[in-house]
Amino acid sequence: MPEEKLSLELEHQKVREDLESLERYIEEFSEFLPLPVCMVNPVDVIIGINRAFQDLTCYNEMEIVGKETSFLFLEKKGIKDLEEEIGSRQKRITREMTLLTKDGGKIPVNVSGQFRRDEEGNLIGYFFALFDVSALKKFQEELEKKVKEKTKELEGKTKELEASGRALLNILEDIRKSLKETEEEKNKTQAIITNFTDGLFLFDKENNLVLVNPQAEVFFKIKAGDLINKPILELSSISSLSSLAKLLGPEIKGIFRKELQAKESLVLEVSTIPVMGEGEKLGTLVILHDVTREKRIERMKTEFVSIAAHQLRTPLSAIKWTLRMLLDGDLGGITEEQKNFIEKTYGSNERMIALINDLLSVARIEEGRYLYKPTRADIELVVRFVVNSYKEESKKRGIKVEFKKPEKKLPLVLIDVEKMRLAVQNLFDNAIRYTHPDGKVTVSLKRVKKEIEVSIKDTGVGVPKNQQERIFTKFFRAANVMRMQTEGSGLGLFITKNIIEAHGGKIWFESEENKGSTFHFTLPVKEEFGEFLKTG
Amino acid sequence: MAKKILLIEDEEIMINLLQRKLTVEGYEISVGRDGKEGLEKMKEVKPDLVLLDIIMPKMGGFEVMEEMQKDRELKKIPVIIISNSGQPVEIDKAQTLGAKDWLIKTEFDPQEVIDKIKKQIGK
Repeated sequence: MPEEKLSLELEHQKVREDLESLERYIEEFSEFLPLPVCMVNPVDVIIGINRAFQDLTCYNEMEIVGKETSFLFLEKKGIKDLEEEIGSRQKRITREMTLLTKDGGKIPVNVSGQFRRDEEGNLIGYFFALFDVSALKKFQEELEKKVKEKTKELEGKTKELEASGRALLNILEDIRKSLKETEEEKNKTQAIITNFTDGLFLFDKENNLVLVNPQAEVFFKIKAGDLINKPILELSSISSLSSLAKLLGPEIKGIFRKELQAKESLVLEVSTIPVMGEGEKLGTLVILHDVTREKRIERMKTEFVSIAAHQLRTPLSAIKWTLRMLLDGDLGGITEEQKNFIEKTYGSNERMIALINDLLSVARIEEGRYLYKPTRADIELVVRFVVNSYKEESKKRGIKVEFKKPEKKLPLVLIDVEKMRLAVQNLFDNAIRYTHPDGKVTVSLKRVKKEIEVSIKDTGVGVPKNQQERIFTKFFRAANVMRMQTEGSGLGLFITKNIIEAHGGKIWFESEENKGSTFHFTLPVKEEFGEFLKTG
Repeated sequence: MAKKILLIEDEEIMINLLQRKLTVEGYEISVGRDGKEGLEKMKEVKPDLVLLDIIMPKMGGFEVMEEMQKDRELKKIPVIIISNSGQPVEIDKAQTLGAKDWLIKTEFDPQEVIDKIKKQIGK
């Protein structure tokens, strides 16, 4: 059956051709495939590679085929392990490994393996495909690096953030602390204001009332709530506050320790203080200090002195009159010796009377009812009267007295003649009393602008430098005159100063110890002066 | 006939001293030891002059003068005040109530009292 044979031959031929074509197809396909692929037999010997594999490893087919896989990888046992794993798990497995290229390069690759079987299912080898992951790896590394950098950066930022967070917390803490301090300070201030024994009113710069403390409420029997934010003008219509509002005025003027009879049993000392903040006036604080008790004590003291002096005067005048009658012989004759003693006693009694009179004057000065009915008078006559009344006394002491008339006739002044006479007398008496025999006292008057100046100059003992500033204070006597003469109340200059100042005048002196003193005083030449018309 | 002086004063020693001094001077003296007694004596004795103290028990000197002002007869009797005090206000008040003079005890002595009396009513 040649035909059959031929046909078989032909069939064979066709199969062969088909197979070759398939083989070529596979070969072409494998050559074309961009994925590096190799085939390995069951004992791990490379039996074939494709173009891409050559390109990646830089080995040609001749250099690779017939070799074990291990020379291609850094991980020597890698493929063997992979093969085993493929064998045991019967599936495709991918593992990352490092490919060693011919030119000494190391390329990270993903190796994917799959086993090959024959028709009976016997293992006949493996396929391995390599996937170059160096770019991926690089990218990954870069990514990681970037991530690391970013992380680091972030860590830095976080640290910074944490630091600034901490700082913020610290600031918050500080703020909380200062808030607390402010709060405490405010509470303290509030406590002070609330518990202050002085009454307080606070007005804003528009003169509206913004604060009243409890003490002020008590003083005026008012409720702070009813008055807050009201202008001062409105307060004057409230009867208990009208006298205060009047004293303060609509602009709340500057006042320092002015007395206010707020009601019958309440005397307040009123002061105003501008409240300044950064160079700007924010308002005015009105302080009301209760001086009722002080006033009462002062009055009691003055009354006591007044009454005591009056009570002392009665027996003193009885003594005076008795002694006088004894001396005058009205009560029968006395011996010369008795007369001597009685005369001395009479003198002592007179000094006592003078002291009581001084005390009474001081009491009246302090009661503010000392001066009485001023009249227009010639001061020259008053001074002359005093000088003349000392004619005998100065002669007895051997002191020369000079009276210097003013160059021009002086204008009349408004004075309480009696008191002015006492003032001049006190000065002149001191000049005579504290000047040694053969000394001189000079009295002069002159007009200086709108004033008349009276000067009394002596060549006496003078006032020690360190005691000069106390010379006008009550009961003060300089050490040098204390040694000289024990009598003298220390009230004369105090009274004189008060008389002169009540007349709107000034008093001062120059003095040098052992050389002499000059006392000057002035009186204003004008219609009215000071608070003169305080009559007793 | 001796001139009659009524002394209205509560201080015993002053009464003694003045009584003695004035009697020596030839006046006839009667005494009231307070304002009330003084007023009664005034009506009874009808003195030529009254020496009047200001501060006294029961009735003071000013009240005595006010009472005198109400009486047509008593109003005419000259009054000299003798007082321990001598404030200008007091002196003014005494003057408006008709007092002729004012003596402060500590500043004057018995002889000056006599001088002032003589000035008012003579010997």
